Amino acid sequence: METPERTVLFDSHKALGARMVEFGGWEMPIEYPSGVIKEHLGVRSGAGIFDVSHMGRFIIRGDSALRFVQHVLSNNAEALDLAPTAAQYTLIPDETGAAIDDAFLYRFVEGEYLLVVNAANRKKDWDHFQLHAGTFAGLELLDVTYDMAMLALQGPGSRRIIEEVADDVAGLPEPSRNAVGIVSIAGVRVMIARTGYTGEPLGFEMFVDGKDAPRLWDLFLEKGAVPSGLAARDTLRLESSLPLYGHEFGIDRQGREIPCFAFPIAKLAVSFSPLKGDFVGRGALGKQFAAYSKIIARDYSLISSLPRMFMCVALTGKGIARAGAEVLMGGKPVGYVSSGTMIPYREFEDKGLLSRQTGEHKLRALCLAYLDSDIVEGDKLAVEVRGNLVEAVVVEYHLRSDAPPYAHPIVQDHDILELPLFCPRKFCREGGRLADPGPEVPVKPSDGPSLLLRKAVENTRWRQHECINLIPSEMTPSPMVRLLSITDPAFRYAEHKGAKAFYETEIFYYQGTDFIAEVEWRLEEEFRKYLGCAEAETRVISGQMANMTVYGAMVDYINRADRRSEPRRLRAVMNNHIGRGGHLSAQPMGALRDFVARDPRTERPAVTNFPVLPENPYKIDIPATLDLIDSCRPELIILGKSMFLHREPVAEIRKHLIETGLDSVLMYDAAHVLGLTGPYFQQPFAEGADLVTGSTHKTFFGTQRGLIASRYEQSEERYELWEAIRRRTFPGAVSNHHLGTMVGLLMAAYEMNFFKDQYQPKVIANAKAFARALKECGFDVAGDPATGFTETHQVLLNVGYARGAEVAKRLEANNIICNYQATPLDEGFTSASGIRMGVSEMTRFGMSEKDFQSLADLMKAIVIDGANPLDKVKSLREQFRELHFCFTGDEYAELMESLRKL
Amino acid sequence: MRNCYGYCQGNCIHRTSIGKGIKMKEISQLVIPEDVRYTRDHEWARVEGEIVRMGVTDYAQEQLGDIVFVEVPQMGRRYAKGEECGALESVKAVAEVYMPLGGQIAGINSTLEGSPGLVNSSPYTDGWIAEVKPSEISDMEGLMTHNEYIEMLKGSRQ
Repeated sequence: METPERTVLFDSHKALGARMVEFGGWEMPIEYPSGVIKEHLGVRSGAGIFDVSHMGRFIIRGDSALRFVQHVLSNNAEALDLAPTAAQYTLIPDETGAAIDDAFLYRFVEGEYLLVVNAANRKKDWDHFQLHAGTFAGLELLDVTYDMAMLALQGPGSRRIIEEVADDVAGLPEPSRNAVGIVSIAGVRVMIARTGYTGEPLGFEMFVDGKDAPRLWDLFLEKGAVPSGLAARDTLRLESSLPLYGHEFGIDRQGREIPCFAFPIAKLAVSFSPLKGDFVGRGALGKQFAAYSKIIARDYSLISSLPRMFMCVALTGKGIARAGAEVLMGGKPVGYVSSGTMIPYREFEDKGLLSRQTGEHKLRALCLAYLDSDIVEGDKLAVEVRGNLVEAVVVEYHLRSDAPPYAHPIVQDHDILELPLFCPRKFCREGGRLADPGPEVPVKPSDGPSLLLRKAVENTRWRQHECINLIPSEMTPSPMVRLLSITDPAFRYAEHKGAKAFYETEIFYYQGTDFIAEVEWRLEEEFRKYLGCAEAETRVISGQMANMTVYGAMVDYINRADRRSEPRRLRAVMNNHIGRGGHLSAQPMGALRDFVARDPRTERPAVTNFPVLPENPYKIDIPATLDLIDSCRPELIILGKSMFLHREPVAEIRKHLIETGLDSVLMYDAAHVLGLTGPYFQQPFAEGADLVTGSTHKTFFGTQRGLIASRYEQSEERYELWEAIRRRTFPGAVSNHHLGTMVGLLMAAYEMNFFKDQYQPKVIANAKAFARALKECGFDVAGDPATGFTETHQVLLNVGYARGAEVAKRLEANNIICNYQATPLDEGFTSASGIRMGVSEMTRFGMSEKDFQSLADLMKAIVIDGANPLDKVKSLREQFRELHFCFTGDEYAELMESLRKL
Repeated sequence: MRNCYGYCQGNCIHRTSIGKGIKMKEISQLVIPEDVRYTRDHEWARVEGEIVRMGVTDYAQEQLGDIVFVEVPQMGRRYAKGEECGALESVKAVAEVYMPLGGQIAGINSTLEGSPGLVNSSPYTDGWIAEVKPSEISDMEGLMTHNEYIEMLKGSRQ
């Protein structure tokens, strides 16, 4: 046997007292003296550092590099676009559709790929590549395994460590999986990616020059990373159900090749894109994919192409399932365990978003098993352990990585938490102290009605009389608006549609609708006047629905010449990134999903995000955006945000569209700022928007509804888009359009048109004063200081990584209601560091600049000083109970009284 | 006690167990008490009045690493000397436990079910595995003494 190779960190491992073993031709640390359990838990709770320099590393470059990787790897390498997605899991298939190896492909620099393969397969992979390289002119293939070291830093604490050691955080990868960057750490150039083999939502893999690795290794240890060996690497990957070549890929126990699609992760690693073209194994993989697609729908007609698949199995009886163990169902052999052991996990206390790790750990026996493909989740199995049968069950997963910063174990026998009727509030607010109110006394079903009445009264009193309401999407409507909303039309229908046969007269489908017809007509009139536009559609009942209606109408409109073929979707859309203030209603993961095409090059939705300013991610970088418009040629541009601090560049984009002759539809989603539209903030139609959508209850005064408005005149061709919007509203989106709130909304529109010149500047002045005061209190306030941090009703705070939810909860316990929000630097809402607030509702209740300064002081006491000034918050609210900017006075008294008596 | 773990295809770390890993502790660092007798498979046995208490040695637990599951002998069952009577499982390996002497199981350490790590932390005390009512107490004489066990460990390390 050859002498095993040593990585550049061999001496470091020996110095730490590691137990070294031969693995894949390398002498590697299997564990350090603290042992695998501490290492595993160290990664899950903090951060672990792994030497993974034994992995094979190839550089692929030259003119035909892309064509080569597309030919020998299963994934679509063209989807790697430097940022934010520049790494992908991929397979090296053979012609039969089995895996020669599994690998990770990185693109750190233009024109060059770095492929990381398994240590034991490096020579085999290299030979396979050489076999295929011949036909690719100008291809350069280099084995850099010995020149380059590779470190993995994984776990919830990894991000803090990386930010501490990086010389400049600007080069760090974006906070999304598979993002890459090049950064300098202690003067060393590090290619760094958000990838890993542990299931941790936070984790980095780093490539450095071999000679620099020991210095970095020591630096990470100094920062508290736990040195972790191959044993922990294996338990961590097994807990997160990641495959290991030789167990889940390669050949099975009977010596047969394992089809790639036997491991469901293959569906993310194999691309059949026509642009990728033919590649090694494509035909065989296509067959497996067809079988896989049927099997997941529990249709087993093609099962012979994929007779067995890997599944997660949890042991419910006592014992440990080890690789090779027989698995039975109903006494019949159905497969075997491919990987299995006992795995430690941290216990979590509390629940939901507030759940957190305890210092305690437990053990659970888990495995991956290669089982007959007709076995499904929930099936009860038996695993043979030393001649005994141990009970087990097929589960969907063992661990979830979708709530950063922690990976969450999914434990087979955990208690299902049942919500009691009217869940008690988490904190008692009595006496200004936080205390758990204890379990709620169970209620009899017959108590339901009175309990509901009582709780509804309590809740309304609390939010209306005792809380400072700062959610920027909310507004308390005036008493008139509220009362009108429950008048008779609230129980009626008024479907209607313009009929061309009757010169576009609106035809109503029901009788008794004259009143509501007039309300709707007047409401459109008020909105046309308010926005300065040609048309308004007021039947949509939410902002999200308004946007979906526009997208549906766009698809209808672009297919107007051909009503027989399958309609095509929008080819290219530009919007604000969800992590940089964009809202769900403009995202492919939200309302846009069914209306935007996939980019055939990347196989992702054809959506391009506006670039933002490096110093202020809430402000669009206008020159860069205009360049992108030229290259993307979007059919639809969607402006507007849910974290909305600054003006959107409507005029600049319009000017550019005119100059370049591009006829993109320019849509402005004014959901947050509908009530601020005007000379004090911005006037989308005057600046050049084609369409404005919005919701009517954030800064606007209304009931909860939506709105679509358009500048298109009847004489122009694009009026057909407006007609499509009318059709997609009814009968497309609504049948009943909630007539009661429409009556209320008309009153709100009267209020807005009458009071806007007092209300709008006051909201903006209050927001600026609030932001300034918070800044002076020591808060980290987002936005451009040159414009007073905000030009709208919103104020955004950064309260520290992953602290948003906890801070929002503490504010709520002190009757300050706001919401936590993921900032551009957060992975997602569970690691949110932002607090979003809006001043519009409290401005309407009469608060002015100095009152927001008092509020800032109270927030400082709660968030920074850890105090609970609940009584002071209540007394502040006490002074602002009466709603302003609405019609009051004796002239309405009699009519209001009759309304109340109805 | 010996490694009984088998199946793998090369690209794995599971083949390492007793004696195969590169040593972490020197023999001088191991706890090898004088009041117990030893087997070649790294079990120990201690006479305590009518019964013999048994477990595995510091060397065995150290080689296995973190123990995560202990299969204890069956209460009341009779086993022959050298018969397999239980198993220790670490994250990476399984090791069988053999009877140091013939007899009937009179007690088992049920705390190991919830705290298998006791075998690592206190192999000769809280980490005991079973109490045996021996068939022939004289069987104890056939087991290795403290010195013989050390000699054997030294031999196996050469």
